[in-house]
Amino acid sequence: MTNLLEVEDLRITYPSRQGPVEVVRGVSFTLGRERLGIVGESGSGKTQTGRALLGLTPPPGRATARRLSFDGIDLRAATPALWRSLRGVRMSMVMQDPKFSLNPVMTIGRQLVEAARRTASRHDARNRAMAMLEAVQIRDAARVFDAYPHELSGGMGQRAMIAMMLITEPDLLIADEPTSALDVTVQIEVLRILDRLVAERGMGLIFISHDLRLVSSFCDRVLVMYAGRMVEEVRASDLAHAQHPYTQGLYRCLPRVEGDQRPLPTLRRDEAWAR
Amino acid sequence: MGALMALLEIAQLEVTFGHGSDRVQAVRGVSFAVNEGESFGIVGESGSGKSTVLRAICGLAPITGGTLRLDGAALKSPRPAAFYRRVQMIFQDPYASLHPRHTVDRVLAEPLAIHRFADRETRISRALDDVGLGASFRFRYPHQLSGGQRQRVAIARALILEPRVLLLDEPTSALDASIQAEVLNLLDGLRAERGLTYVLVSHDLAVVAHMCERLLVMQNGLAVEPLTRAQLQAREASQSYTRDLLTASEGYRPAPST
Repeated sequence: MTNLLEVEDLRITYPSRQGPVEVVRGVSFTLGRERLGIVGESGSGKTQTGRALLGLTPPPGRATARRLSFDGIDLRAATPALWRSLRGVRMSMVMQDPKFSLNPVMTIGRQLVEAARRTASRHDARNRAMAMLEAVQIRDAARVFDAYPHELSGGMGQRAMIAMMLITEPDLLIADEPTSALDVTVQIEVLRILDRLVAERGMGLIFISHDLRLVSSFCDRVLVMYAGRMVEEVRASDLAHAQHPYTQGLYRCLPRVEGDQRPLPTLRRDEAWAR
Repeated sequence: MGALMALLEIAQLEVTFGHGSDRVQAVRGVSFAVNEGESFGIVGESGSGKSTVLRAICGLAPITGGTLRLDGAALKSPRPAAFYRRVQMIFQDPYASLHPRHTVDRVLAEPLAIHRFADRETRISRALDDVGLGASFRFRYPHQLSGGQRQRVAIARALILEPRVLLLDEPTSALDASIQAEVLNLLDGLRAERGLTYVLVSHDLAVVAHMCERLLVMQNGLAVEPLTRAQLQAREASQSYTRDLLTASEGYRPAPST
C-alpha cells in the first residue's frame, strides 16, 4: 500500500531580529488511510506542521522539506495553481474555533455550496450540501442551511465546518483542535462523525490536539512534539507505556477521576529534549 | 448542617439577565453550603450557569432571588469592602484578567492600597514567593509572562489580602496539561497550608475530582445532583447526565454499533 502522505525532514523557519528561528525542526512521518494524532503543548509546532502540509505557512515563514509528497505529488515545488486544485478538493483543514473560521456574513448554505461547486454543478452542489449537513448529524438541516454562523451554537458551527471541509470528499483531512472549543459530550459526537468518515470513505486524518487522553483513545498512532521536534511516535494504545520521558510526563500529569495522587506528578523538562 | 455552621450558604439562588423577551434565567434555584476549610466543586458544560453562581457570590451578577450567607450573615449588595478581604476570585483567562499595561508590582499593590494595608513592600514580595515566582518577576508586564506565570500572578493578587474563601472559575482550563498540574498543586498546597476554603468551577470532572471533596453537577441553570468525591470515584451517580459526563471524561469511545 502506498502512503497518502510522506513527510521527511520538515522545517519551518521565521525570520527574527536575532536571525532565523526554526519553529519546526526536522519532522518526518508517513500517513496512510488512518487516524494520526499530533500532540504537544502550546508552542510545540503542531499547528505549524499541519498548516505547512497545506502550504499555508504564513509569510514571512518558510517551510522546507527533503520530501513532502501527497499521493505521489511533490508539494515542495507546487505552483499556486496546483495548490488551488488540491486545497479544499483533495486535502482540507478543520480549524479550532468555528467562530473565527466561518464567514460571518454568508449563510452556512452559501458557504457549503461555494465549497461544493469546486467539484459539482450548481444544482448538484445544493443537494450535496444538504446531504452533507445530514451526514454530520445536523437534525434540522434546512434551518442550518439558511442560518448565519452567529445563529448556531459552537457544536453546530463546528459540524457545519466539518461538513464544508468534507463536501468535496477529500483524501486527507487535517483537523486542528477540532473539538477543543466544544463541551465534552458534544466533542464525542463530533469525533464519531470523523471516525465514521475515515472508516467509510477511507480518508486519511491528521488530528492535532493538546489533549493526550482524547488522542490516545481516538487515534491509531500518535506523534509527540516538543519544541519543534518530534520526540516520539507511538501506537495510541501504547501511550501509557511510552518511552520518552516527555510523553510519560505529559500523560501522568493529568488528574484522574479515580486517582488520588497528590501532589500531581509534574513534568520535569530536560534541556536535552529540545536539542 | 447541624452543629457545624457552613461558612458559605447559598439557598435558592436565582440570577436573571436582560428584560422582557430577552430575559434569560441563567441560574434557577441553586442551593449548596460550603464548610470552612472545605473545597467544593461545581461541574457543568457551557451555559449551565456554573460561572454565574460564582459571579453572583462576588456581586458580579444580578441576583433575582434566594439568599447568600457568609458566616451566617446575609450578603448585602453592593458588597462592602470587608467582604472582599475575606472572599477573592480567580478568573478563567489569565490573558484577560490582568491589565496589559500594569506591571506585576502594580497589579499586586492595588488591592493593598484599596484595603489600606501598611507593609506593602513585604507583602508583595511574600505573595510572589508564595506562588513560586520570586522577586525577579515583580516589575514585568503580563506580556512578558507565560500563561501559567500569569495565572500565578492572579493567584498572588487574590491571596495578598489573606482571604478565607477563594472562588476559582476554571483556573486551569486555558493552560497546558503540564502547567495545569503545577497550578493545581500550588492551589492544593496553599489550601492545606492556610486552611482556605475553595469553591472551584470547572467543566473537567477529573480536575474537580482531584481538587474537591464535594461537588454539585449543574445543567441549564439547575442543580442536577450533589456528589461526594467517593461517590464520583465509585461512579455512584443517580442522574443520567452525570453518568454521561463521567463517560465523556474518559476520552473517546466509538459509537455503540447498532
